[in-house]
Amino acid sequence: MKHLNEEELIEYFYSKGKSAAAIERHLEACAECAKACAALKSDLKEMEFAEAPVRDDAYGERVWRSIAPLLPAYQARKRSWLRGGVWRGLSYAAACALLVICAFFAGRRWEHRQASTSAGITPAPAPQHAAPPPQRVVVVVLSDHLDRSERLLVELKHADADSEEMVSPLRDEARSLLAANRICRQNARQDDDTALATALDRLDHLLAELADEPGSLDAAKLARLQSEMSANGLLFEVRVLRSRIPDRQQAGIARSNGGTI
Amino acid sequence: MVRMDQNDHAAIQAVLSGDKEMYGTLVVRHSASLFRVAFRITGNEADAEDVVQEAFLRGYRKLDGFESRSDFSTWIYRIAVRCALDRVKRRNLDRAGTVGEESDPEQDEVQVADGCAGPDRLLLSGEIGAMQQAAMRSLTAIERTAFVLRHIEDRSGEEIAAALGIQPNAAKQAVFRAVQKLRLRLAPLRVSI
Repeated sequence: MKHLNEEELIEYFYSKGKSAAAIERHLEACAECAKACAALKSDLKEMEFAEAPVRDDAYGERVWRSIAPLLPAYQARKRSWLRGGVWRGLSYAAACALLVICAFFAGRRWEHRQASTSAGITPAPAPQHAAPPPQRVVVVVLSDHLDRSERLLVELKHADADSEEMVSPLRDEARSLLAANRICRQNARQDDDTALATALDRLDHLLAELADEPGSLDAAKLARLQSEMSANGLLFEVRVLRSRIPDRQQAGIARSNGGTI
Repeated sequence: MVRMDQNDHAAIQAVLSGDKEMYGTLVVRHSASLFRVAFRITGNEADAEDVVQEAFLRGYRKLDGFESRSDFSTWIYRIAVRCALDRVKRRNLDRAGTVGEESDPEQDEVQVADGCAGPDRLLLSGEIGAMQQAAMRSLTAIERTAFVLRHIEDRSGEEIAAALGIQPNAAKQAVFRAVQKLRLRLAPLRVSI
């Protein structure tokens, strides 16, 4: 039989512990341990310590009076973000997040309304606003086209029917310009630019005649075209249109910015 | 008890809001109980009174860290135990630095084993109490405090550990060592009786 040690007996004396039942059974069966336990109880019970002196009712007051001058008053409690409690902090964070979300959607809505208002003021159709770059590209093409057309007309004006070297490139250039001229003319009509459309119409007629000539230009044909060109003042008109290009560019920019022409 | 806890918490809130005088109600309410445990640990009335004041001062400075779900009486009790423990340690250090009759264990033992002093005489002269006090003084500060809290204050192992700031097993061992030492010291008296 294993005897109980002093530690086990002391724990049993004070707290009875988890194994109190087992110890009690052992003590009933083991005389030696029972004797040791009785001696321990006797020793501990005999330890009589002096009772603490009784303090009168004014003792607490005296203690307070002695320490009160040493204590600075607390400032009104400032609760920090964390100290105020997690829920308070979370509620602040949620409020901030809600504010940001509201501001975001309000901004988007305001932006959308601004765009709608602008579209309402502009008399030009919306698709033109939606795609300003093509307009500017057309302007650039028109400028180039008129430039090339002017050179062609100048060369045509001074062309000599006897010189095949001079006439043949005119025909090739006319064929090249013909397609571009039709695009520019179509665009001018869409823009309701009557003057440009009419001029390009006449240019188209001239270019077509020049391009469709199967063989080399004979003197009569060349003279007729030169006469026709001079009669309707096509070269002068092309030059005038060229001079208008900067204005058209400005107008195109203004249109792309939502202004009016 | 619940009502008193609520009153304590209300007073603490008032103190933290700037009403210093409300701390006075807490001091008045808990001074006596702190004095008792301080006296049992220090064994000295003057020291116990100093411990009470020091405990309330420390408590006031730490009051903004007091967890509202805790019990103020338990909290301030632990502070008082720590203060008392510190005082006993300091006193032991002071005593170790000087050579005195009471501090000499050998001398204590000689006094107990004095054959001229029979049990009846010891009992009559109140020297049993003196022997017990001498035996208590032979304990370390931790052992003495743990024993007082266990044997006199009837605190659990967990409460002792929390009050001393040590592990529960260390608190249990401190109580065991204290009991063993006390029994050893007081064994001559038992034989004589």
